[in-house]
Amino acid sequence: MNTLVSRLNRSQVRISAAALAGLAVLLLITGIAMAGTYHGFLGTCASAHTCADGHSLLFRGDGVLNAVVYATMAVPLLFGLFWGAPLLAREFEAGTHSLAWTQGVTRRRWLAGTAGWALTAAVLWGAVMSALVSWWRLPENAVGIPYPRFDTGTFDIQGLVPVAYSVFAVALGIAAGALFRRLLPAMATTFAVFVGLRFGIAEYIRPHYMTPFTKVLPLAAMTPGATSAVPVGSWVVGALSAIGPNGHNYGDAIQFSFMPAACRSLGPGNWVPCLAARGFHSQVTYQPATRFWAFQGIEAGIFVVLAAALITLTWRLVLTRDA
Amino acid sequence: MRTQETPAVDTAGLGKRYGSLWALEDCSVTVPAGRVTALIGPNGAGKTTLLKMLAGLSRPSVGEVTVLGRRPGQDAGFLDSIGYLAQDIPLYRRLTVGDHIRIFARLNRHWDGAAAEDRLAALKIPASRLVGSLSGGQRAQVGLSLALAKQPRLLLLDEPVAALDPLARREFLASLAGAAAEGGPAVILSSHLLHDLERVCDYLILLSASRTQLCDSIDNVLATHRVLTGPRQKPPAGVTVVKATNAAQQSQLLCRLDGPVLDPSWDLHEVSLEDIVLGYMGEAASAGNGRLTVIGDAS
Repeated sequence: MNTLVSRLNRSQVRISAAALAGLAVLLLITGIAMAGTYHGFLGTCASAHTCADGHSLLFRGDGVLNAVVYATMAVPLLFGLFWGAPLLAREFEAGTHSLAWTQGVTRRRWLAGTAGWALTAAVLWGAVMSALVSWWRLPENAVGIPYPRFDTGTFDIQGLVPVAYSVFAVALGIAAGALFRRLLPAMATTFAVFVGLRFGIAEYIRPHYMTPFTKVLPLAAMTPGATSAVPVGSWVVGALSAIGPNGHNYGDAIQFSFMPAACRSLGPGNWVPCLAARGFHSQVTYQPATRFWAFQGIEAGIFVVLAAALITLTWRLVLTRDA
Repeated sequence: MRTQETPAVDTAGLGKRYGSLWALEDCSVTVPAGRVTALIGPNGAGKTTLLKMLAGLSRPSVGEVTVLGRRPGQDAGFLDSIGYLAQDIPLYRRLTVGDHIRIFARLNRHWDGAAAEDRLAALKIPASRLVGSLSGGQRAQVGLSLALAKQPRLLLLDEPVAALDPLARREFLASLAGAAAEGGPAVILSSHLLHDLERVCDYLILLSASRTQLCDSIDNVLATHRVLTGPRQKPPAGVTVVKATNAAQQSQLLCRLDGPVLDPSWDLHEVSLEDIVLGYMGEAASAGNGRLTVIGDAS
């Protein structure tokens, strides 16, 4: 079984191996250089008390390099489109499923071998890619400014989640292929569902995996130049907002018409002290850096469970539907 | 000895429905082992549906089916015993002929790769060629060789020659006849034309309008069918009229003989297999074709 599936997917494997090797060379060379400057900097900054400025002093890759690293976010989708979706759809489209299904292996074994191969490839490739990127970003993660590893975007390209996304994308492609039995609808569905689900979860669900911490600050913290004052490496899920005395959230600015009349009559320079005196303050909500791996685990778990559901669906479709 | 007794195919009331449409209805056929069977029917008669159910690729909606004494399905023993070649001969286009032989060896327990290689070498089809670059006739030969390399006891071929030119058709059927000779598998091959298959087949299943019209050895079919000509009147006792062609004074009836025809006002004529088949295929196939050709009738 494995001979057939690996021979059929030889060109995909070669292309992805070449791309992964290219990424590895790029990240290893720049990563070693970055780690070198970072450790050199750590050695000298402690005595000069300039370690907090690391983010502005260190080389952390130029624009193109960063773009390449962030582009690895799309790689799981490519696995889904070019490994997952064609895996079964191409067999159905060419009619070769009826050839494969009348050999001496049962459909169950054929599917286990075929889907197992693609899912294993997704795990391996995803893991190598994620390990490379995670290692490359070690200095940047340690500095934590201005892009902590917990931020949306940087969270998505390191740790466990790229592996889970890859497995999910491939499972999605396989299931779409089993459902539609045609390549283009399978690829289109894989694209739409993957992008929609990834965006939806990252944007609307991930911030609520655990109750965020709330930090209450004086209203003056909202004036330009003030620091947001969340611990380094935290993920800000609720940006700095003005809160009224009754707890109402005014967002990032209080409109003139909502101010108490007593404050409105004063000049703009006196608004902040006036409002503060009447119980206005500001707050920021965040997920602390210590929760990074918990969030990685939760998000990876969600996508692995989704992948398992899709594989179950595929199993049913392939074993119960007619050829 | 058991292999001699177990029919290659045995179905009872077999039917397949897609939505509200019956692709095959009430199909009861028995094909003895060792036969080369022509499965004939017009397009849409249910030939592919029947073959898929025999190959375990499709599940019956109603009825019973046994192939070589087993219910077709997902068990290795059944899969080992059949060879199946779908319509249009699907093969992996980006694999070479040799890849197919080598890889399929690992998917089958009784694989005779050497025989497949010899067969294709004799046909001058190089193992190194990509399947996608082969002609239709060569693809069909590769498909047949792969199916035979499984050493099946029943070979199911769905319209294997439909897309081939006359020469490739002849070569394919010659290969098949050679493979099916002494000790080879039972074969069922479908076509919408009888013409091609008459030479290699000794058994006939005729499907028309989703139903079984005939299932018998070709010898028996020929022996039990006659064209009756006589005055325009009720058909004689002892026959089942397949198709009637009435002229002003005379009737010409294609009949299946259920017993001797004793009525002296009818003349009996032998009839070709092709005409029998066309007669069964119904008015649609023969409307406007005029009268049946009667063998031995000088006019």
